Amino acid sequence: MNDDLVLRTSDLTKVYGTFTALDGLSISLERGRILGFIGPNGAGKTTTIKILVGLVKATRGEASICGAACGKDTARIKRLVGYMPDVFGSYDNMRVFEYLDFFGAAFGIPRRDRKRRIDECLELTGAARMKDLFVESLSHGMKQRVALTRTLLHEPQMLILDEPANGLDPQARVEMRQVLLELARRGTSLIVTSHILPELARICDTVAIITGGKLRAFGTLDQIMRSVRHSRVIEVVLADRTGVGLAARVLARELGDDVAISQSEASAELRFPTDRDDAGLAALLGRLLEAGVRVAQFREIPMDLEDAFLSVTGQSGVKPTDAPASPSAVRDPKLGVVGAGA
Amino acid sequence: MIPIIARELTAMLRSWRAVALQIGFLAFLGLLVILRWPSEGRVDLGGVASRQVFRIFGYGLLIGLVLVSPAFPATSIVRERLQGTLALLLNSPIRPVSLVLGKLVGSIGFVLVLIVLSFPAAAACFAMGGIGLTDQLGGLYLVLVLLAIEYAALGLLVSSIVRSTDAALRLTYAFILILAVGAMVPNVLLKDVSWAGPEVIGIARVVNSLSPFPAVMHVLGDTGVLGGNTSEQEVMRFSIGAVLVTLLCVAVTTFRLSSRPMDRARDAGRMTDDRSARSRFMRRIMYLWFFDPQRRSGLIAPWQNPVMMKEQRCRPMGRANWMMRLIGTYFVLSLLLVLGATTLSQSQGVAGVFSAIAVMQVGLIVLLAPSLASGLISAERESKGWQLLQMTPLSPASIVTGKLLSAFVPLALVMLATLPAYIALLALDPAQLRTAVSIQVTLVIFAVMAVFLSAGIGSLFRQAAVATAVAYSLIAAVCIGTLFIWLGRDAPFTPLFVERVLTSSPLATTLSIIGTPGFSEYRLTPANWYVMAAMTVGSGAVMLLQVARLGRAR
Repeated sequence: MNDDLVLRTSDLTKVYGTFTALDGLSISLERGRILGFIGPNGAGKTTTIKILVGLVKATRGEASICGAACGKDTARIKRLVGYMPDVFGSYDNMRVFEYLDFFGAAFGIPRRDRKRRIDECLELTGAARMKDLFVESLSHGMKQRVALTRTLLHEPQMLILDEPANGLDPQARVEMRQVLLELARRGTSLIVTSHILPELARICDTVAIITGGKLRAFGTLDQIMRSVRHSRVIEVVLADRTGVGLAARVLARELGDDVAISQSEASAELRFPTDRDDAGLAALLGRLLEAGVRVAQFREIPMDLEDAFLSVTGQSGVKPTDAPASPSAVRDPKLGVVGAGA
Repeated sequence: MIPIIARELTAMLRSWRAVALQIGFLAFLGLLVILRWPSEGRVDLGGVASRQVFRIFGYGLLIGLVLVSPAFPATSIVRERLQGTLALLLNSPIRPVSLVLGKLVGSIGFVLVLIVLSFPAAAACFAMGGIGLTDQLGGLYLVLVLLAIEYAALGLLVSSIVRSTDAALRLTYAFILILAVGAMVPNVLLKDVSWAGPEVIGIARVVNSLSPFPAVMHVLGDTGVLGGNTSEQEVMRFSIGAVLVTLLCVAVTTFRLSSRPMDRARDAGRMTDDRSARSRFMRRIMYLWFFDPQRRSGLIAPWQNPVMMKEQRCRPMGRANWMMRLIGTYFVLSLLLVLGATTLSQSQGVAGVFSAIAVMQVGLIVLLAPSLASGLISAERESKGWQLLQMTPLSPASIVTGKLLSAFVPLALVMLATLPAYIALLALDPAQLRTAVSIQVTLVIFAVMAVFLSAGIGSLFRQAAVATAVAYSLIAAVCIGTLFIWLGRDAPFTPLFVERVLTSSPLATTLSIIGTPGFSEYRLTPANWYVMAAMTVGSGAVMLLQVARLGRAR
């Protein structure tokens, strides 16, 4: 058993009548890691999160956070987890400081520490200037910051954030990303769901892709990319549009008729998938040049999390593949993994 | 305007609540007629029995419409605002006045359906003879239709002002209570007072005509429980008043929707703590430090229930500065009551004034308790705050205690404001001490029961507006509904049965303690206290169980 694991789920299943919302989910997460939990609408993400925070009871299987059993050891879970749902939960007529004071008091933070704690958290989330504003007058982005502050008040060991970047402007997104990375640096583990996949790719070192209640892929970004990538995608940009037809004919001859070559005369581009190695690609480039095609660029299109997600969920036409990666294999430094979405 | 009317009517008529309301309303009216339908095989040539049936039918219809007609319009505009469709409507070529009139006609359409549903019961009354078609039946329906239009317009106005559906319902019912009952108070109090000149009495009469009760009492041939003889012109006066109030409400609602209705930004103002030392000093003197609205709140103390503090801070009237204003208002009202009590006791006797104050207190509890307590859980669920509360270590008992305390504090303040009037009356007639104590005990138990019942029943609903409407209906049924059985005390009900039913009514109990004619023959204490205590315990258990159930993982 790895003592550094803060989250462990085993065969977690939730059935509503005849509908299986979650089917045998087994994942784990180490301390200080950020898990990106992605999937289409109705995939089972929120069900999983609600089981973890004790709002929903699992039909089968087990889940624990820092050794506390989810759904059984509710009192401990509440202290260990900071949960930020996708709705704010506003109370009218309250100022931000009063709103946070209420949650601080509800979590039993002693009065002598509470003000300091609220100020620290407001500072961390960049919401310090909002503390005298009325909660109902805040913009969506401001509410997200206040919600995150509220979640951090009782110093949870794990944060579960449902769509934290939703509705944020680009600047706020960057700031939110920095806050989450800082929290991970301080040793807090995070589970983050988001539909903005490039955003997730920038912060997550582990990704779980879930569809139809089943885990389709789980591991580091690299592991998932490798597992879903069957071929490289090459893009050829020509110096002028007149050569597109000729280039397409040369590529079809060299690659075979069964390879789908997409071409755009407007932008003088061609794209195709291939299994060739670097030497094979160099030879292919040579054939194009020999045929008189004026090539401006010849490059591999990097795969990002969005491509991986579409590939895994089967929406890109590529056969879905399960990534068998074990969580314990995740050893890469956080920021070292990021880059696919860049 | 036509699309708005069609949409409003369709939306209202196709809901299961509308169907339930129509069936319930029909059953209620049918029951009222059956209760007073003569069971003997004799023909009543004088039409006495017919008029008795018509009277009970008329009051039943009036109270039903007073409760129902503002319910839908009161939530109409605020719901559009919350759902984001108000902006779409205002951005369409539909003018604000068309929007308001469309909603008004749509709402009235639904009430007209209810009025039409009452025709069979009215026909049954008419068929018994002794009732005039135009002056009585026609007069009753004229008053009811105008009342429905007036209260719908009032509901729309409130709906354009407030920010939540339950607040809209609360405020609308408060205004209606003032219009329907409060408007009669000056006339009742001043008519026998020697110092009130003809101008003062004239003004009181004008205010009196805003209430539909004098007009309905005249139409039904009732001299009135309030002891006043109604004049021939009551229907005309009420009609003019209703039309004027309707026009005013429509105009103000239209104006509100025309002038930046979406501009709801709330300025946080400058905090006193951030001001200069001199300014801080001045404000501290001016606001006595504690009541400064721009002062940063202190942290919640360990001995304070966080949920109670949260509820207090969330309520616009729960802040220290507003509480101070409320206490001030109550104090002034209390002094007026003392003045009124000492003046009126000369003409109406101490017992008469006791009755008036006790009825007023019952009215205040009926108005305030559901407003304060019905949305304690449902509003939390509606605003998604419940999920956040669930994630805190607060126990269900702590949540329930905090929420109930937050409802008791303002109610207790209101109750306390009437104490000086009682003390003044007791100074005039110390022999009434026992009566006064019994009244206070009854009212305190009633207040506790009303809060628990509203909170318990309200916790069963997801929407605060529905919870509020149901709580009001239940409290009104306990207080006023039981009086319909009392109206049938001669036939068909036996005195024992009437007494048992009245045991659950705090209003009847209060009136029996005072010795009001018609109630003095019933001994309702301490049985009423036990019944209300049982209802309190039951409602508290419902609320606690519901909170525990909502707090568990599903």
